[in-house]
Amino acid sequence: MAKAEREPTAVPPTPAIPYDEMRGAAGKVRPHYAALAQRISTLSPTELAERQSTLERFFLLQGITFTVYGAESSTERIIPTDLLPRIVSADEWATIEAGLTQRLKALNMFLADIYSSQQILMDGVVPRDLVMQAPSYRREMQNLYVPHQAYANVCGSDLIRQPDGAFAVLEDNLRVPSGVSYMLANREASKRVFPGTFRGAGVRSIDRYPDLLLATLKSMAADWRPNPQVVVLTPGVYNSAYFEHAYLARLMGAPLVEGRDLVVHDNMVYMRTTTGLRRIDVIYRRVDDDFIDPLTFRRDSGLGSAGLFNAYRAGNVVICNAPGTGVADDKAIYAYVPEIIKYYLGEDAILPNIETFLCREPAQLQHVLGNLDKFVVKAVGASGGYGMLVGPHSTKAEQDEFAAALKADPENYIAQPTIQLSTAPCLIGDAIEPRHVDLRPFILCGEKIVVTPGALTRVAMRKGSLVVNSSQGGGSKDTWVLTDGKDLEP
Amino acid sequence: MMLARVAESLYWIGRYVERAEHLCRLSDVMLTATLDRTEASAQIARIALAAVGDTDEAKSKNSYEAARDLVLDRSDKGSVASSLARARENARQVRDQITTETWERLNLIHLRMTDMNAGRTFSGGSQAFLHETIADLHLFKGAADATMSHGEGWRFLLLGVYLERAQLIGALLEVCFGDRRRRPITDHAALTAVLRMGCALEPYLRVYTADMQPRFILEFLLLDEDFPRSVRFCTANIEEHLASISRHVEAAAHAGPDRLAGRLRARLQYADIDEVQAGGASAFLGAVRDECAGVHQAIYDAFVAYPLEQRLPA
Repeated sequence: MAKAEREPTAVPPTPAIPYDEMRGAAGKVRPHYAALAQRISTLSPTELAERQSTLERFFLLQGITFTVYGAESSTERIIPTDLLPRIVSADEWATIEAGLTQRLKALNMFLADIYSSQQILMDGVVPRDLVMQAPSYRREMQNLYVPHQAYANVCGSDLIRQPDGAFAVLEDNLRVPSGVSYMLANREASKRVFPGTFRGAGVRSIDRYPDLLLATLKSMAADWRPNPQVVVLTPGVYNSAYFEHAYLARLMGAPLVEGRDLVVHDNMVYMRTTTGLRRIDVIYRRVDDDFIDPLTFRRDSGLGSAGLFNAYRAGNVVICNAPGTGVADDKAIYAYVPEIIKYYLGEDAILPNIETFLCREPAQLQHVLGNLDKFVVKAVGASGGYGMLVGPHSTKAEQDEFAAALKADPENYIAQPTIQLSTAPCLIGDAIEPRHVDLRPFILCGEKIVVTPGALTRVAMRKGSLVVNSSQGGGSKDTWVLTDGKDLEP
Repeated sequence: MMLARVAESLYWIGRYVERAEHLCRLSDVMLTATLDRTEASAQIARIALAAVGDTDEAKSKNSYEAARDLVLDRSDKGSVASSLARARENARQVRDQITTETWERLNLIHLRMTDMNAGRTFSGGSQAFLHETIADLHLFKGAADATMSHGEGWRFLLLGVYLERAQLIGALLEVCFGDRRRRPITDHAALTAVLRMGCALEPYLRVYTADMQPRFILEFLLLDEDFPRSVRFCTANIEEHLASISRHVEAAAHAGPDRLAGRLRARLQYADIDEVQAGGASAFLGAVRDECAGVHQAIYDAFVAYPLEQRLPA
């Protein structure tokens, strides 16, 4: 039965006690946290604070900063980073890896379908209007050949751990997911801060991410271009993720280009080099769909290159991720992902969704309106923690404001029960306190799907807060995926 | 092969870093002169300020403030802090092209310059502050030399360094020995200071001993073959790096910068100090300055801002 027809269930249960990543019943340390807990207990608050400042200095020196522009001068800040790693056991990781692989496989099949014969829409599994009217649907992508049907080559899914300890998917990021550089930088930093603990812990290596990314991108190039030229396309130095663009380009050995470096001539894409024009085969773009080509998408964009999309259509260059992937991570389509997996793979989703109410369905809208103080309400098109109401933490006025918005434009909203994200120990001041965290692993898909055994753990630094987005004061910490002795490197 | 924009940024990193180092040295010499209470201290301040294009007589009377502004004033586009901010901004834009070791050096210097307490550190010990900055800039160049591939990118960086240096030393020589100077510099302390501004005192002493003669100083800073801050040394390096870069570009495109750099190098290599002085130092220095500007323009025309029509595939 399609989700849209489902009757709303009972009022969501009152928030349970969040899952504690480090301690189980009666405060007993979980086995996979034992070594770290032991290490922490031998360090005085001063020593911990010293390590924290070593860590911060590492980020500052590396220039892993964002700039706060002021009237007189600008200052550079580092993203809040916590020194205590978050640890995921081998068993837990096995489930996550299988679940993410399954999910991305199905989502890419979904994209290939809706941009060609649209079988899934004809079978009524996903409502046609939901797809065709999604702002992220790109009709320009219709009937366009994409190698390996790999539309989303880089995916960063947001997982959360529910109070019962099970992981669930909160969001799929299939457009231009970011944060992988923090996964890698956090690891470098944590090797400096906890070398002893790290050595003995059996942490799986994530160092191969850049070369796996390069291999993924190269696998997207046409067969007749044996040694494809890969570039990273960035909006430029003022973009908040610029550090990441430069970081990945440097580690892959690929040129970091901006729109102004590109020239499209006869449906071929070139970059301006000191020795003239050089042909480009694969563009790992870190520029949103809207901005990649002013001739096809937004006319006022100065970030892309005129004619790029036609070169793509002509098969002379590959754009990764493909334009139009956003339709599969749309917050309303999200509600149908379990059905999408079932439809294409005949399997049940390994990682469950969070229960989602679509406000476009009148019955579900009524249910949401009646329980605004318990739900998280999100605007379908927004991201980064903007346009969001966290019911239990909101005021009556905020709820009224959202109620009006919901009634005026129900299509634009979804609601989910407020989930108590799990907590992990963090160094706050000179004390160790629990803070809510999520988990963003990164999945690559070209010829094959690879999940890097690591993740970005995002932390809501404010006490009690459930919002982990960096734009809302969130931080991050290193994530150790432990080996069970059997698994080799990816 | 590298992106034209990247080559441009590397070139400007070289120029800005060299400029910052030179300004630090001028400030340092200016401040040291005031300590000695010699009569020449005002003259030295005037020389240093004139060498950066500032002829405000009032400023040379208060050389401490003039030096502090030259170093820290971020509203002045020509200050050390501004130059370093630009070098670092360019480095950020080509972060993928320079090694982490090189980047860290430059980032560190920039962070110290823009630190909230930079003003206090400077007033607490300006010479120490300047020495440290100069030493760090040397470390930056050393890190680039020791860790970057000595390929095209590194050569664009050095091209910027040597072109900037040739022009800065040229400007200093013009102030000290040009035709517009009414009275020749004769004071021993002032002549020593001029050598210090070119970081040339010790190497000079080894060649000419402590005999401070304006003619020798001009000859050393202009025509010495081995001293890395002489204009001749710079032009030889400009030619070498350009030749290496041009090897990759089609013959037609690089005739410009190659030819100009070769002519400039030859002008210095075969110059004779008596002839230079007979014709007036300004005429010679002016020609050098113009040819440096010509090389700069030719680099842009050949490698950075070339017309696309000529380079499109047939």
